[in-house]
Amino acid sequence: MKQFLADLHIHTALSPCAAEDMTPPAIVQAALDSGLAMIAICDHNSAGNTAATQAAAGDRLCALAGMELTTAEEVHVLGLFPDAARASAAAAEVVATLPQADAAYYERFGPQQLMGADGRVLGFERRMLAVASTFELSAAIALIHRHDGVAVAAHVNRPSFSVVSQLGMFPPDAGFDAIEVFSAPGFPSRAAEFAGHGLAVLSSSDSHFLGDVGSACSVFEMRAPTFEELRLAMRGADGRAVRCA
Amino acid sequence: MTVTELAAKLELRPLTPQVTPSTEQVTGGYVSDLLSDVLANAPRGGVLVTVQVHLNVIAVAVHAELAGVIFALDRVPDESVRAKAVAEGIPLYTTKESAFDVAGRLYEFGLRGPRA
Repeated sequence: MKQFLADLHIHTALSPCAAEDMTPPAIVQAALDSGLAMIAICDHNSAGNTAATQAAAGDRLCALAGMELTTAEEVHVLGLFPDAARASAAAAEVVATLPQADAAYYERFGPQQLMGADGRVLGFERRMLAVASTFELSAAIALIHRHDGVAVAAHVNRPSFSVVSQLGMFPPDAGFDAIEVFSAPGFPSRAAEFAGHGLAVLSSSDSHFLGDVGSACSVFEMRAPTFEELRLAMRGADGRAVRCA
Repeated sequence: MTVTELAAKLELRPLTPQVTPSTEQVTGGYVSDLLSDVLANAPRGGVLVTVQVHLNVIAVAVHAELAGVIFALDRVPDESVRAKAVAEGIPLYTTKESAFDVAGRLYEFGLRGPRA
């Protein structure tokens, strides 16, 4: 087994709240500069920049295709998928439930840029990625599993948009594959508390700005930085493991 | 006013007719969809008005010792949620009115929030 550093929650300029310089090549460079072997692109309710980031990463870095889904309860759930095609198929079902963006929305939330591997803007997402989908939590997790992904309860220690803030307590039978805690200086991660649920606990940066990429990460002990190895490590299979860095 | 009297006055539709509501006086009311907030702030023996229909509503209602839960805007939780409510003895109701209007009527009946 080898150790790999992974920051599995990074937004691109497609997300309504992320900086416009969060381009695929800039994120890949920031991740390499931080010593990461793995990242996951998780834009709000979309996987539109995952293929471009994978192309930008090439074989220098494993860039997983993900999505940060907002459920009807306004719980954020990360879906991490084996490839960009399956991430995009799952995201297409989510985005279909969102309202069309109008001029006032773009003014407030930014342009939601779809980009190529070189960072050039190719288009703009036309739906309101900032709002909640109509998928209830159990349906959202089922959607992620149906597209062969793993479902991670996002930033469970945050006071908003977390499964704990929205639902009062962690639902033990929801079907999550892992729990993510948000880590930042001075912000209690409560990782030990959440470890009690018997699921892998990850630490991620939830980066919306380039300077945050890799500011929190997880250590995966596994054979190689791949999605299948990650899935096995989350289950603790055959000596694999994951812990907060 | 008991939960049963209150439900009759508001013309709420009962979702758990198997449950016999408490005959105690309702102590107050609370409106929130954030269950962490309900857990921390809802008054014991009070009623919750919400559009949140996740199963955890029942667990939170038990923990907060609520007298009943009123779902606004015609929201109806799944059968599994209603079954859990029956098992825990929490009466559930639904109404077509918004949470704002339900709260306004509860206030007219003399109910108050935890910090009033």
